[in-house]
Amino acid sequence: MNTSLAQRQHELLDALLQAHPPGPEAPWHGPGLGAYRANAHAHAERALLAAYPVVAALLGEEAFQALARALWHHRPPERGDLSEWGAALAGFVAAQSDLDSLPYLSDVARLEWALHLASRAADTTPDAASFAWLEREPPERLLLRLAPGTAIVRSPWPVLSVLDAHLHGEPDFATVARRLAAGVAENVRVWRQGPALRLTPIDDTIAGFEAALLDGHTLGQALDHTPIDALAWLGDAVRSGLFAGVAPTPDAIDNEGEPPCPPSH
Amino acid sequence: MPAPPTNDADAPEVGIGWRAPHQRALLEQRPALDFIEVHAENFFAPNAATRAPLLKARESYGLSLHGVGLSLGSADGIDPWHLDRLATLVADTEPRFVSEHASFARGTWQARAVHAADLLPLPFTREALDVLCANVQRVQDRLRRTIAVENLSAYLAWPEADMGEVDFLVALSQRTGCQLLVDVNNLVVNALNDQRAARIDAPLPAVHRWLDAIPPDCVSELHLAGHHDRGDLVIDDHGSRVHALVWQAYRHAVARFGAVPTLIEWDTDIPALDVLLDEAASARRLGRDALRAPAMEPAA
Repeated sequence: MNTSLAQRQHELLDALLQAHPPGPEAPWHGPGLGAYRANAHAHAERALLAAYPVVAALLGEEAFQALARALWHHRPPERGDLSEWGAALAGFVAAQSDLDSLPYLSDVARLEWALHLASRAADTTPDAASFAWLEREPPERLLLRLAPGTAIVRSPWPVLSVLDAHLHGEPDFATVARRLAAGVAENVRVWRQGPALRLTPIDDTIAGFEAALLDGHTLGQALDHTPIDALAWLGDAVRSGLFAGVAPTPDAIDNEGEPPCPPSH
Repeated sequence: MPAPPTNDADAPEVGIGWRAPHQRALLEQRPALDFIEVHAENFFAPNAATRAPLLKARESYGLSLHGVGLSLGSADGIDPWHLDRLATLVADTEPRFVSEHASFARGTWQARAVHAADLLPLPFTREALDVLCANVQRVQDRLRRTIAVENLSAYLAWPEADMGEVDFLVALSQRTGCQLLVDVNNLVVNALNDQRAARIDAPLPAVHRWLDAIPPDCVSELHLAGHHDRGDLVIDDHGSRVHALVWQAYRHAVARFGAVPTLIEWDTDIPALDVLLDEAASARRLGRDALRAPAMEPAA
């Protein structure tokens, strides 16, 4: 790293990223700095709106734009692709006491970010040949791979109902309000089936099982944690494009000294 | 199916920035254009849903991938993630042109890697030139092709400088083999702001001097766009038709650099596609006139 240039660039970044513009005594003070800060705020509002249309609708334009600007300064982008920015919104919202009247907002944000990531995930072709591992290795030595972008959002609030009401008009807002008042919990799976974004409600058991798989647990560990009908689940997963493949754990490969490819019939 | 030819061999090739509001209209109408330009980052997501429209357009038009986030001048270097995504996109789309900016945005702030999502100016120092050259070379090595690097509109001036902007950019080109993308609107915006700050008397002669100091064989592309005068500052907002002063400077640029491919950019308050096509026709017409005109004397 070039130290002195890095230091000078850091000084300019600091003037841009700190929450309040530097005072008249600062070297970068002036309309030019203001132009860059205003441009950054416009980027923040646009980028966050693209990923969080429902959070924006829940808050209203002015409050959402203020939230976007605040998040920009609290957790600025790390990448040069603004579509990658905004992951921290759910946590940021949860920490804002002035948003306590919308206790489900953070979970709605988590769901929207999961959708955003799924829309940008890589394409995949299910590895049908890898099915053969299911017959060859015990569940505790197998890892199931779900489609890229798959996420499980578990919430004590009816987050899917909130999202659907805003994006698809169904259920209606009166129904959503009743579910919110009753504290209806909803778990949601988000994934991609080919180019199509999918999301569906799932029960606690399936949510726990799939979350365990996404956390890198073996099929055996996931089943120990949440016993389900694995064959029925697998059939559904294949049909829905959720299943991407299965592979032996590294331990299984090491023990047998075999290459990481499925056995042939 | 290729788009209809422009049938204008005496004019510079002219393209437009292809943005989301015109995605469908361009594919349906296939207007006569020499190339289209997109911001590379908008197509970084590695899936068919994102890439399909671009690949479809690629069947009809030459493609210019214009990056806005690589941060070529960052002392922290190039983000490997960003370069990987760009390299994949370049391999998948085989663009005619790949370009970026002589700017920085990456750095370290509060012990985190950050990106300011803007085209921040560099000091025209030997130190910054070394950094820029090293980063450009790294990008070119990875992409296995040369890129074009664009001059900025800058709203801040660094107090330190070892050289002027032209010497800085020409040295970059000579040391790395990269081409220069001359944004004529940026030159005019900088000149208007310099005039407002009483650093120069008149903008157009200053722009002509800048253009005349660039060796023609360095230049591979020209950019044109609108700007906004907000009173205290002229902003390069790409939100209106090309201004008269920019057209005048463009005529001078074509007379000096020849039939260099020219892009009409429009990124905010994007109008109907026909408006961009009308601007493209103006560029073609003015470019043709400039090429036919007798050689111009360098600006005094």
